[in-house]
Amino acid sequence: MSHRGYAVETLNLAVAAFLLLNLLAGLGRVHRGPGAADRMLAALLFGTTTVAVLLLLAEAMALPALRDVALLLVLLAAILAVAFTRIPRRPDGAGR
Amino acid sequence: MGLAFDLLLAGGLLGLALQVVASRGLFRSVVLFIALGLLMALAWARLAAPDLALAEAAIGAGLTGALLLSAYRALQPAEEAADPGPAALPRWGALAAAVLSGALVAALGWAALGLEAPAASAGREALARLGESGVKSPLTGVLLGFRAIDTLAEVVVLLVAFLGARVVAEPLQRAGPGPSAPGSGEPVLTAPLLRLVVPMGVIVAGYLLWSGGHQPGGAFQAGAVLAALGVLLRLTGRLQPAAATSPAERLALVGGIVLFSAIGLAGAGTASAVLAYPEAWAYPLILAIETGLAVAIALPLTLLFSGSAGLRWRER
Repeated sequence: MSHRGYAVETLNLAVAAFLLLNLLAGLGRVHRGPGAADRMLAALLFGTTTVAVLLLLAEAMALPALRDVALLLVLLAAILAVAFTRIPRRPDGAGR
Repeated sequence: MGLAFDLLLAGGLLGLALQVVASRGLFRSVVLFIALGLLMALAWARLAAPDLALAEAAIGAGLTGALLLSAYRALQPAEEAADPGPAALPRWGALAAAVLSGALVAALGWAALGLEAPAASAGREALARLGESGVKSPLTGVLLGFRAIDTLAEVVVLLVAFLGARVVAEPLQRAGPGPSAPGSGEPVLTAPLLRLVVPMGVIVAGYLLWSGGHQPGGAFQAGAVLAALGVLLRLTGRLQPAAATSPAERLALVGGIVLFSAIGLAGAGTASAVLAYPEAWAYPLILAIETGLAVAIALPLTLLFSGSAGLRWRER
């Protein structure tokens, strides 16, 4: 691999690691909430972050099939949101 | 840099798994489990196993999340009445279980480290003789060529699971998403979303089915995507539960298995053995079987989610 190619690969992995760190930091929102919607939105954001990480990994690892995984996650992201909205609102307005 | 990423991923997975079982509140655990599925997909990606990452993404994002949220919804009144929290086990019991399982994992790891890699493994032989299977993707070659009997049995297991769920149908009825509340109109964005996502999903399922022949993909992933679309249609009320399984649904449930078995049995005459394919016809036959299997995987999964014997389009 050329010197330049190696640098690009390292950069890709570094950005992927940064995004993963972001995702792990977002877990704090899942913990603190306070509402169910806050937690669900955090999970949806994790899905978007995972798509970005997969696209970076597809480049860094030279595995184009990982783009299909990202495509699948984008396609199916809506299902979680729809399933969440089917949960009836709690009387006190706050989630768990 | 790769090592830093992997350490972060492994640490995150372990911490997340701990929180899923230890955190208070059902909903929090559900959301954490969804996040765990995403990190698992990343872990499979890092292990250069895109097939498994595809399956994890399709099952985790499309089915498990929706299933857990629906189960949470069904459990909600009971949870409001009494919130026992996760600590049903005494502290010393939990500690003993943790120490024992930790010791077991350590012992297994120790044993695995001591194993010597066999000189000739079945995997290497399968890779070397991939040309005989008729497809270019090693996974599809193994699943539908070299180990076709396992795949056939797995699809039968799915059918049996559905039949078993039907036998104990009464308690499962509640687990489905249920009818929408009367009087509350549908959100404005639902119809446009479905018009966009459902055709796209069918295309993606077809793409995954097709790509199974030469790259990661195949019947299982395509079936999981179709099932996720079924779940979406059921959640939005486009598909309604029905008390009886229609003839078309019965055909779809057993069609893939019958086709697979018939082609497999014919192999005894036209090819060298049962479940072997005639060489010139291997690829088209595998594609036909995979198409049948995708439907035979998607329908039981959707029906299991729905908790009903059948599904009907909503009368308009």
